[in-house]
Amino acid sequence: MTEVSLLSLVKSYGGAPALRGISLNVGHGQFVSLLGPSGCGKSTTLRCIAGFEEVTDGRILFDGKDISRKLPEKRDIGMVFQSYALFPHLTVAQNLAFGLEMRKVPKAQIAERVAKTLDLVQLTPYAGRYPKALSGGQQQRVALGRALVIEPAILLLDEPLANLDAKLRDEMRGFIRDLQKRVGITTIYVTHDQNEAMTMSDLVVVMFDGDIAQAGTPEEIYNTPATEQVARFVGNANILDLPVAASGAGMAEVTLPGGAALSVPAPATPGARLGIMARPEQIALADAGQGHLQGRVTRRLFGGGYIDYEIATDCGVLAVQTPANVLAGEGAAVGLVLDPARLWPVARDAAA
Amino acid sequence: MSRRRPLLLIAPAAGLIFFFVMLPYINVLVMSLRMPGADGKPYGPGFGMEAYAQFFAENYYLSALPHTLWLGIVTTAVCLVLGYPLALHIATASRRWRGLLYGIVLSPLLVGIVIRSYGWTILLGNTGVINKTLKDLGIITRPLKLMYNDFGVVLALAHVFLPFMVLPLLASLQGIDPAIGQAARSLGASRLTVFRRVTFPVSMPGVQSGCILVFVLAISSYVTPALIGGMRVKTTTILVVDALIDQFLWPFGSAMALVLAVSAGLIVIAFAMLTRMKWK
Repeated sequence: MTEVSLLSLVKSYGGAPALRGISLNVGHGQFVSLLGPSGCGKSTTLRCIAGFEEVTDGRILFDGKDISRKLPEKRDIGMVFQSYALFPHLTVAQNLAFGLEMRKVPKAQIAERVAKTLDLVQLTPYAGRYPKALSGGQQQRVALGRALVIEPAILLLDEPLANLDAKLRDEMRGFIRDLQKRVGITTIYVTHDQNEAMTMSDLVVVMFDGDIAQAGTPEEIYNTPATEQVARFVGNANILDLPVAASGAGMAEVTLPGGAALSVPAPATPGARLGIMARPEQIALADAGQGHLQGRVTRRLFGGGYIDYEIATDCGVLAVQTPANVLAGEGAAVGLVLDPARLWPVARDAAA
Repeated sequence: MSRRRPLLLIAPAAGLIFFFVMLPYINVLVMSLRMPGADGKPYGPGFGMEAYAQFFAENYYLSALPHTLWLGIVTTAVCLVLGYPLALHIATASRRWRGLLYGIVLSPLLVGIVIRSYGWTILLGNTGVINKTLKDLGIITRPLKLMYNDFGVVLALAHVFLPFMVLPLLASLQGIDPAIGQAARSLGASRLTVFRRVTFPVSMPGVQSGCILVFVLAISSYVTPALIGGMRVKTTTILVVDALIDQFLWPFGSAMALVLAVSAGLIVIAFAMLTRMKWK
């Protein structure tokens, strides 16, 4: 188990920097996701850690030791690529043995460790097959096994599920997380899928534009996002732009268009406006005339266990998700009930 | 219905191959089994193995065969050694450079083979550019023997057929996922080891087709060995043309051509088996 530290990492390709001095600490055995849209620098960060990109400035530490100038083959990492990058000319067992051969592990030991890892990734019956003869999920497990069999200091995963279909992706998500817990390896996982990041990680690092926007547990990222951008990227978010009526003791009272007042944990001056985030499932429906806000259902989508509503209000169109037993037809007038305990102020985007 | 359509689509090509490849081959085979002619006739009445017997009996003709095959093998090896680094470089070059380098590799094909071979005689001859320069510089007093020997022939053949090695190699190398090399490095392989254990073996399909292409082109080429080799280097292909056109010995020339074709075929099959890729 290894602790990974990034200290003011900068990567520049000449033009605008791809990484603008990011710092991050990944603890022993932690599963950390780098989450962000394409071009946000998450893959670049991973490639810097792996050694495929030279850092322009800053340092990368493994257990306190600076490895930023080391060649990739000297870093003791296991990496899984989006394309799996299996060696097509080697069988599954030979793919797994490759890293051990590079480490000059004795033959008998190689066989033993390969067999053990094949078992771990549930591929023992496929040991003699070539990658071409495997399904996407199986290839993915070979890639995982190949990275793990060398017992690396850290495991790096670059969008490993992006090429799988939805059902397999869900399966592999659980598989990878279980495996990581069992092996206890420090893991850095790059993804643009907020669902993957939240379900798998101990720590989610949201990145935009070469910088870390927020790092926290999945709950923190989801419930208390630092900015509107984070709020919108991590799940669906309604942002209500409301005037502050009164404030004090770190709390601000905002007023809704209907006159209802709500108290949120934010320092603000009266007269200013606050962006208040409410997740769709944090809003409940009530009869018209009741609740904090009035609206009309403009769209209703049945989702099986839940219903997604789009409701036009004086605060704009809001997304509301309710249990499937709460019924309101399209065009119906409804009241909206906000949960004061879960409202969260977010910094508005400059463009918004 | 749907099963018949593809057959219909290949009919023109199949017809072309039947009439202009298969029938001539059969004709050559039949001709090789005819008896030698008399009184200036290209062949005589009746059939037999005369032509083959004559070929295997006369050392002048027989010894040219291994020599021809050897020249083909050496030319192929030279093309591989020269072409692989070139292909590797082009495959990893930036997009802009790749187009330019690609063009440079292909450009020799724009000039006819006769002209290219003739160009080599200007360079390699006793009074050619190379010998004249070296003499003027006082490095040599006698001209170096650069042509009318195997050296000159292999040199010119390698030049003429290099694109046929580079193109399949390039196609093969460009098809390799760059992440494969990175995966190998993350597993502890140095750049050299990545090449030895991953890049080269994975590019084997390109090596295979490039080698086969250059080999068959080299042993069957006529113009280049004739121009550069002159009267000294007699390849089987040159002897075949001599027999058919100058000496008017059609059965003998046909037999020789077939022996060359079968020998080359056996070498190609042996090579393909040696480099067989189970993983394809």
